[in-house]
Amino acid sequence: MKSIVISSVVIALLVLTGCSSKEPAVDTSSQYESVEKVAPVQSETVSSDESSVMSEDGSRASASDYASVSSSDSMSSLENDLSTIYFDFDKFNIREDMQNNIANDASIVNGAAIKFSVKLEGNCDEWGSDEYNFALGLKRANSVKKSLVAQGVNTNRITMVSFGESNPTCTEKTKDCWAKNRRVDFKLLP
Amino acid sequence: MKILISFLMAITVAFASDATIEVIKRVDSLPTIAVEDSSESYDNKFKMKFFKSLIADLNVLSIFNVDRYHREVKYDANEVAYENKDMDYVLRYRLVKSDNGSLNVNLKILTKNDTVFVKNYKINNPKIYMFVSHTIAYDINKFMGEDPVEWMKRKVIFSRIIAPQKSELVIADYTLEYQHVVVKGGFNIFPKWANKEQTAFYYSSLDEKKPTLKYVDIKTAKSKVIGSSDGMMICSDVSDDGSKLLLTKAPNGQPDIYMYDVNTKITSRLTKYGGIDVSGSFMGKDSIVFVSDRLGYPNIFSKNINSNSVEQMVYYGKSNISCSTFGEYIVYKSRETSNAFANNTFNLHLISTETDFIRRLTAVGVNEFPRFSVDGDAIIFIKNYKAQSSIGIIRLNHNKNYLFPLKYGKVQSLDW
Repeated sequence: MKSIVISSVVIALLVLTGCSSKEPAVDTSSQYESVEKVAPVQSETVSSDESSVMSEDGSRASASDYASVSSSDSMSSLENDLSTIYFDFDKFNIREDMQNNIANDASIVNGAAIKFSVKLEGNCDEWGSDEYNFALGLKRANSVKKSLVAQGVNTNRITMVSFGESNPTCTEKTKDCWAKNRRVDFKLLP
Repeated sequence: MKILISFLMAITVAFASDATIEVIKRVDSLPTIAVEDSSESYDNKFKMKFFKSLIADLNVLSIFNVDRYHREVKYDANEVAYENKDMDYVLRYRLVKSDNGSLNVNLKILTKNDTVFVKNYKINNPKIYMFVSHTIAYDINKFMGEDPVEWMKRKVIFSRIIAPQKSELVIADYTLEYQHVVVKGGFNIFPKWANKEQTAFYYSSLDEKKPTLKYVDIKTAKSKVIGSSDGMMICSDVSDDGSKLLLTKAPNGQPDIYMYDVNTKITSRLTKYGGIDVSGSFMGKDSIVFVSDRLGYPNIFSKNINSNSVEQMVYYGKSNISCSTFGEYIVYKSRETSNAFANNTFNLHLISTETDFIRRLTAVGVNEFPRFSVDGDAIIFIKNYKAQSSIGIIRLNHNKNYLFPLKYGKVQSLDW
């Protein structure tokens, strides 16, 4: 009798532990409960010590490289001549149809713009603000850099930055728009 | 035989506490709670704000069926409102404005007309009433004997994109009711709390010639530069004691993970792969989890800090882009569709390094930037769906998701 009880317990335990499904189960219905917002809160101050952090304002941004770039007509007109390089979805290799643009850019960088440094800005479409997306933007900038260097541009003249998805030129939700945002822009620095 | 039975029972218990196994909804079996307002000070608008905040917090606790009806009852009344007489619990509170302008809250919980819990709260600035509401919910959760919800009282720091190359860093409560802009102007992203006490944070500034990592002490409002790197300079994780940082730097355009010792200021390179290695996250004493495209697509890997061998952690999904760890658990973002010409779906998944279960945590939209709470009880994430940016909270053990929409802008990244 005792062994029957024990066996029953063992079988029950086996049944209970062995039946779990390994398929990811998803509840799509009523899973979200949007909690009602209570107040339109603007930037508030909790205590004096937090508000004092706010002293870091936009003044620094306006004193950035771009202000000096726009102050120089020749630099900005040269910048306009430099073609943006576009990329495929989730890729950072330079497309066949972009080779001419790169060659044209390299000739400008090594010609009329020889006295300036070049800043390559890598950008992505809107699918994610993660570090990976920033890295993808950077790898795009790096592909352009390698190509420029291969065409004779001094590597020390080139700096790179990635803006991830945070610097879109187009904000509509269309395929053309996303394609426009997968790009590397050229900026000239004195 | 006894050993066998004990062994099997141990397995049962182990599986029962596995967060990757989904809990069936228990709505019917949850106790009911109603809230009674006995406030005499303050206008109706403020009273309703507080009431709604409290109701929202009680809902997020996920341990009650919360009655949303606002009823006013005298604080000292012996009986609960007639409509609430069948409720398992009645929470009665009174907002009192003191002479110096501070907000006082008297609170009691009644069960069948018996008072079972009493507590008073006070806050000098009534504008941050939501933190009182969160603290009340925290205490009730504790009173009910549930696992602590420490995260409820913590602050969230996030970066909000307001225009191309323009962002602000915001400190908020988890519901976004309270918002305080700490860094305005410029292009500042990837904020990360520098310690558990949340008295300082790191962030990446893209306004300088090179991306620069900065440190801000909230108490003193002093900012200092930690370092800069060509291409990328992001603080991905801070060790529990705040002494070590995992950075993503990209000197020569090559994104790799580095470890920075806050005390000695020594940086050591942890990954050397020629592709993309980003988003390092501490796991255990001497391991990290990170995102890499070393298999030709982004996926989650782990490595020991002191060795070069790398282990693949996730075998589901062809594009797993970001992750967060807590103990044996890893939550990661996975791309469910791969389409350059249509809306893509990104969902969050939870795995355990001890088992091969996968639990999908979200269903629609772009869900990203998952971060475990300090106690592992909840996951915070960013949800972008139909042009609305929200912060989401997933209660793992209760199988509930809550969304808190942002009024304007788009959340770029956050930390909890």
